[in-house]
Amino acid sequence: MVAVQFYLLLSAAIFCIGLFGILTRRNVLFFLMSVELMLNAANINLVAFSFQYGNLTGQVFSLFITALAAAEVAVGIGIMLVLYRNFGDVDVTKATTLRW
Amino acid sequence: MAATSTAFAFEVAPAIAILPLASFVIALFAGKYLPKGGALAGIAATGGSLLLSLWIALTVAGGATYNEEIYSLVTTPNSFDLHFGLLLDPLSALMLVIVSLVSFLVHLFSLGYMNDEGERGLPRYYAGLGLFSFSMLAFVFADNLFMSFVFFELVGLCSWLLIGHWYREEAPPSAAKKAFLVTRFGDYFFLVGVVAIFATFGTTLFAGPESFPTLAEEALAGAGGGEAGGGAGELSTFGFGPGTWFTVLGFLVLGGVIGKSAQFPLHTWLPDAMEGPTPVSALIHAATMVAAGVYLVARMYGFYALSPTALAVIAFVGGFTALFAASMAVVKRDIKQVLAYSTISQYGYMMLGLGAGGYVAAVFHLMTHAFFKALLFLGAGAVIIAMHHRQDMWEMGGLKEKLPVTYYAFLAGSLALAGIFPFAGFWSKDEILYEALIHGLNDPLLLGGYLMGLTAIVFTGFYTFRMVLLTFHGEPRTHTARNPHSLGWSVKVPLVVLGVLATVIGLINMTPVAEATGLHIEYLHTWLEHGIPGLTVEHYDEVLETVAGYSAASLSPLLPAVLSLALALAGAGLAWALYSGPDPDHHTERLGDIRTLLMNNYYQDEYQVWIAETFGTGVARLSDRFDQSIVDGAVNGISEVSLLSGDRIRRIQTGIVSNYATLLTLGLVVLLLSVGLAGGWFL
Repeated sequence: MVAVQFYLLLSAAIFCIGLFGILTRRNVLFFLMSVELMLNAANINLVAFSFQYGNLTGQVFSLFITALAAAEVAVGIGIMLVLYRNFGDVDVTKATTLRW
Repeated sequence: MAATSTAFAFEVAPAIAILPLASFVIALFAGKYLPKGGALAGIAATGGSLLLSLWIALTVAGGATYNEEIYSLVTTPNSFDLHFGLLLDPLSALMLVIVSLVSFLVHLFSLGYMNDEGERGLPRYYAGLGLFSFSMLAFVFADNLFMSFVFFELVGLCSWLLIGHWYREEAPPSAAKKAFLVTRFGDYFFLVGVVAIFATFGTTLFAGPESFPTLAEEALAGAGGGEAGGGAGELSTFGFGPGTWFTVLGFLVLGGVIGKSAQFPLHTWLPDAMEGPTPVSALIHAATMVAAGVYLVARMYGFYALSPTALAVIAFVGGFTALFAASMAVVKRDIKQVLAYSTISQYGYMMLGLGAGGYVAAVFHLMTHAFFKALLFLGAGAVIIAMHHRQDMWEMGGLKEKLPVTYYAFLAGSLALAGIFPFAGFWSKDEILYEALIHGLNDPLLLGGYLMGLTAIVFTGFYTFRMVLLTFHGEPRTHTARNPHSLGWSVKVPLVVLGVLATVIGLINMTPVAEATGLHIEYLHTWLEHGIPGLTVEHYDEVLETVAGYSAASLSPLLPAVLSLALALAGAGLAWALYSGPDPDHHTERLGDIRTLLMNNYYQDEYQVWIAETFGTGVARLSDRFDQSIVDGAVNGISEVSLLSGDRIRRIQTGIVSNYATLLTLGLVVLLLSVGLAGGWFL
């Protein structure tokens, strides 16, 4: 059996990769993928603790998050299409009209 | 059976005030579509109020009283509550009858004065009358000072509406504003007084063991009669001795009384208020507005009786006002002006009576005055109709033959006003002076009030009969006076009713006769003896004697009665000697500078305007500066800072999603670090 700390380290690493992706990438598609990574990092955390304490609530919760991520991707891709239609690009730094 | 009918009478008592309120609503919203502009609704409502008041009076005569809360506005546990309630005892029952009767007759008279003369704005007029009656009736049966204050103010508002009825002319709106502002000046003190009484006693009830007069009396008794330091029981007297503090409270409330009852120096609004329609003048002077002040003192007499200083000031101001106003009435040419100054003077007598410990006498005079002054005003109104709205007495004369009903009614009212035996005013005024004399023999301030009141009798007799002689006797001096307008029944009926009352109402309390014969015929005294404990004449007399230290000299009432009658006859006789000829001279012209002074009302208006302009505008300018610089400065400063910082901070909204994500991450890191630092992770 693997100790819970290692899962947490894994989760933190994946979360940081996702964060890095969001901060550096300009393509919306990468944005979405990075968000998926961060959500799954959270899932790993939940499952790890659920396993540690023998309580299934965490696992159930991770299922919910998966469903939520699917929905989010659907919306996200929709936004992406609109973005492309309006700006002719999927570069997030181009779409800067929503500001002061 | 008797118990249930009593309970039922008290159950429906609020309708006494609600009925005129309903007529107000009807006249206001439907008056245009009704015949007579809503007058009939008003007549029906006040007639209903009169019947109900009589029923209440009969019930109260049976020994029952009522003191209940009927509608609660604010209730807070353990501190205070604001509510409307009903206090029906002999005093309020008597006053309800007077107010509703006069109000009813005034409505009736208005048919002749307003409708038949083709006046405009009738719905507005009758709505005003309805609201006026409602306010006064509710004021009369108020069971606490807060409710009194509310309706006191409403009465003031209605007077403003009605005095300014002819708002297209120049003078009435100005007079209305003056009445409103001058009485409001007094009401400021009243408002402070109400709040102070709340703060001191936690209640403003008039009657019962939890009422403020009772609590004040207990506090005085607890403090050993006096001036022993700040606390008296549980009451906070704000560092004063309880006696001193209660006097201060009494003076604060007295401010409102002096404004409303037109006592010196706040009397200046009342003569100007003559600009309103004459029936309104009758209502204001006889039963509603002006009576409110005196009634308030009578209502909380148990409180004033605790303070000899307040009483002495009331008596002195009253006596002074009686003389002061009577002297001005001597030279006036306008019939309504004469009556206006006589009203101020008569209310001065009532204040003198209250201050001198003559509670019954003052209530008696309040009652007789209500009848004869309503009579005189309505009589003057009839004369004004007949004269095609001319009011100068020098343009009249010889109306006696043309207007016999008006003449005899007016004469009855004049005899009552002058205090000629056996008309109403003789008995009540004489009793006030008697009370002032027997208590004044031990107190110079009261004696001063008595002497001024006594002197005013001569003036009263003189100006009253000068008015009667100039108006009705001699030869007609103008074409209008030779061919007066005829009068309808709606004018004559109120005059006859009030004429009879003014003649006989004095017989209900014939103190000199009772003393001389030993008969028990002081019915008003007996009437005010029963009622709620603590609100009876005996209680007031006892408090006056033990707390205020009033002592009555034993003196037969006959000699003072003869003296005041002789003085009244002397005044009347002088008027007769000067003005009874067919074509009297302008005798007052010979007074020269004194006449100028009196015609200008002792320059009261001038100096009050001067005070208002000098100090009022000074204070206003300072307030304005404070408002402009400090208040506005703070508000504008806040908005400037917000605008400026908003302009800077909005720059972080770049529109680039990556920047937002960076800010989010940085924020999270900062949050984590600060939580960690506070939690001691890095130590």
